[in-house]
Amino acid sequence: MAHPQTNSESTIDFTKDADDPVSLLMVYGAIVALTLLTVGVSTQMALGALALPIQLGISATQVCLVGYYFMHLKKGERVLVLTALSSIFWMAILFVLVLSDYLTRTMIVG
Amino acid sequence: MSASTHHSVLKHHFDNLEQQHAAERLGMWMFLATEVLFFGGLFGGYTVYRMWYSEAFAVASSHLNQTIATINTLLLITSSLTMTLAIRSARFGDKGGLYRNLLLTAGLGTAFMVMKGFEYAEDFHEHYVPGVLFQRAHDSAAEAVAGLSRLEAEDFFKKNPQHPEWARELVLANHGKSLGDPGYVNADHVQLFLCFYYIMTGIHGIHIIVGIGCILWLVLETYRGMIPPANYSTVEVVSLYWHLVDAIWLFLMPLLYLAGAGLVH
Repeated sequence: MAHPQTNSESTIDFTKDADDPVSLLMVYGAIVALTLLTVGVSTQMALGALALPIQLGISATQVCLVGYYFMHLKKGERVLVLTALSSIFWMAILFVLVLSDYLTRTMIVG
Repeated sequence: MSASTHHSVLKHHFDNLEQQHAAERLGMWMFLATEVLFFGGLFGGYTVYRMWYSEAFAVASSHLNQTIATINTLLLITSSLTMTLAIRSARFGDKGGLYRNLLLTAGLGTAFMVMKGFEYAEDFHEHYVPGVLFQRAHDSAAEAVAGLSRLEAEDFFKKNPQHPEWARELVLANHGKSLGDPGYVNADHVQLFLCFYYIMTGIHGIHIIVGIGCILWLVLETYRGMIPPANYSTVEVVSLYWHLVDAIWLFLMPLLYLAGAGLVH
């Protein structure tokens, strides 16, 4: 049998923590601008070796914006932010261990 | 009479709604951590081979469709916005807004897959697919200009546009060179790039389709009255998944499509 409705469900104001649509639009605009920046800079300028770090920097900024504002890490519980950061930490372990192997082998020629 | 009078959002194993919502969010983030590792492996593999075969990867990447990739990126970012607005609609009990934002998100995701379909169709048409198709297109272009000088070969390709652009460029770049010479572009390494391209964008596409399915499920649940303001967190956990798939694309796009930064055709 379903539990009867608890009092709190009708008395809590769930709109209290709602996002401000203007802020969301500003974040959206920033992420779009960064996309146009990365495409524009990559296709219109001869960046050479700088291309990759610039692109990765822009992508990382975009993902931080998505995570902080859209995914609500800004007001997230501490354990939530810890979980999100842990996933980056584990990926860092993956990259460090894999690259420390491959970067220290003889480079394949041709 | 609303749905909440005969179905409580609070499950009996939670003390209160705040705890339940926090648990739901944490559970989804735990899953997202596994997704980061899943794609992390693919990114790791791509990193090693791009590091080893940077020139071939740059050339290979430059023949992908950057226009479609940019449009797709903008579609996904917009869908992230509408998905976040859907959570807001749920919190306010704005059913019309909830339907609108959920369907917009699903629509934008579908538009992404449609554009991807056009992109893959174009790639297949040009035989820009690793394996037999690539081999045949490359070999037929190479055989067609065997024995000609470089200028003659360029001229021949201008008069015979049936050879795809990537094959022409590879054959012309390698004209008069052999394996090991500077500036030689290894066609096998180009195929390796294409393997990463299809597998990474393909698996990402499957994630988008799953996400669209979840969003359509949310639309159904809204219709059944199962998303009162107290249950906004159901919309939120789906949105967390959706944002992660968007975030993965934000890294995927420049790494795959902009690796040949500045290479002119």
